[in-house]
Amino acid sequence: MRGMKDQAIVCNIGHFDNEIQMEALDESDAVKTNIKPQVDKYTFPGGNEIFMLAEGRLVNLGCATGHPSFVMSNSFANQTLAQIDLWKNKGKYENKVYLLSKELDEEVARLHLEKIGAKLTVLSKEQADYIGVDVTGPFKPAHYRY
Amino acid sequence: MSEDYKVADISLAEFGRKEIDIAQHEMPGLMAIRDKYAAEQPLKDVRIMGSLHMTIQTAVLIETLVALGAKVRWCSCNIFSTQDHAAAAIAATGVPVFAWKGESLEEYWWCTERALNFGDGQGPELIVDDGGDATLLIHKGYQLENGDRSFVDSEGGSLEEGVIKDLLKNLNEKQPQRWHGVVADWHGVSEETTTGVHRLYQMVEAGELLIPAINVNDSVTKSKFDNLYGCRESLLDGIKRATDVMIAGKVGVVCGYGDVGKGCAQALKGMGAQVIVSEVDPICALQATMEGFRVMPVEDSLGIGDIYVTTTGNKDIITPRSHAWHERSGHRL
Ligand SMILES: NC(=O)c1ccc[n+]([C@@H]2O[C@H](COP(=O)([O-])OP(=O)(O)OC[C@H]3O[C@@H](n4cnc5c(N)ncnc54)[C@H](O)[C@@H]3O)[C@@H](O)[C@H]2O)c1
Repeated sequence: MRGMKDQAIVCNIGHFDNEIQMEALDESDAVKTNIKPQVDKYTFPGGNEIFMLAEGRLVNLGCATGHPSFVMSNSFANQTLAQIDLWKNKGKYENKVYLLSKELDEEVARLHLEKIGAKLTVLSKEQADYIGVDVTGPFKPAHYRY
Repeated sequence: MSEDYKVADISLAEFGRKEIDIAQHEMPGLMAIRDKYAAEQPLKDVRIMGSLHMTIQTAVLIETLVALGAKVRWCSCNIFSTQDHAAAAIAATGVPVFAWKGESLEEYWWCTERALNFGDGQGPELIVDDGGDATLLIHKGYQLENGDRSFVDSEGGSLEEGVIKDLLKNLNEKQPQRWHGVVADWHGVSEETTTGVHRLYQMVEAGELLIPAINVNDSVTKSKFDNLYGCRESLLDGIKRATDVMIAGKVGVVCGYGDVGKGCAQALKGMGAQVIVSEVDPICALQATMEGFRVMPVEDSLGIGDIYVTTTGNKDIITPRSHAWHERSGHRL
């Protein structure tokens, strides 16, 4: 950070605050000035100043309000289906990490299309047979990467 | 008896409710699930604890779980991420919430413990985790009760680790079987984010995971949307609210070019910044070049970069002093 341009802005959007060495910065010879909540200026002895956002914690949730609702509806639909799945299958799963099925993944996407005015094309039986999928999906093999 | 919640200001509940109502219109997936399952009540009386940013959007998730029959307790998974009006609105419905914007580390872990405590020694039957802190606390507590003090007695670690160790040692003195009781009733966790999922796979590898887990992050409709398109919008929202800086004409340096990094780089580019990417994975580095971004180690961008964003889920990406820079520039450390 010492070598950064004067007035550079530094932030993290990864989950934990260890991507930027905050403890080391706070113990360094840089002088910290609070500008407002979640915005601090650090001045290095040479005079260089940098701005640190949200104390190195995820900036989109620390300095703003996180993602918009529409995208979180996708994430949280998955969360809700996962909770239902865990409860329905309690006692059946091993202590391992599982993924939700591709059927549920496609279902979550489907639930969001109408709202934004997207209309799906429907496969004919002949087309479905030709590419080797069911007319109602899943439309991709497990190894497909999107 | 004091109220079974702790929020910044319960009088913000009305404002929170107005924003929750607006958000519902933008959350068709959650609302459709409510419609589909409300009658069936698939989560009837299930004790669910959540450790996930207490925002307006999360309020809609919580109310969906409640609509499906669950008994919910909640805390945030970050000290700064709570929206106080969202927390107030949820607390006002009788769902115990322990979250406010600007918790100390001690308060944060106190909130996590409170959200895990359903009374009468009961813990949750299911957990919604984001980053794995709730899962971590239970597992480390369980280990300690088994007589394994390797974590709580270990030296070093971050300030935050110290706080967790103190909390666990205190609890262990008062309730030496607390976590065994919790684990006996615990049937699973669904994990929201890349970093939390990474922790879960490490626990499986070490043979330590005590419950089944669902990796929500790697649903395509999660990581290829939230991590990518979500960050594409909320990164600049955060930077702008914090600094009001003009993005156009600046040089943005994005460390890591996974799903989150791709969204961040696109956002900066879209607003007219030049973008530099740092990566360790040759595939992701090549992807970045194909989008027209320069790829270089973060040290090489010193003196060029105006805005630095770390997106790696790794540690020590940006340090107070950069050895490489000092070597090249001939400055003394
Ligand atoms: N703030 C948010 O809203 C939000 C949303 C989703 C995910 N996340 C978090 O963001 C982080 C990244 O998630 P992701 O899904 O993009 O993960 P990812 O694995 O897809 O991407 C991370 C990238 O960083 C690269 N990397 C690792 N070490 C590096 C280093 N030293 N230098 C440069 N690059 C390096 C990896 O090669 C990888 O390509 C995680 O911590 C995740 O939990 C945050």
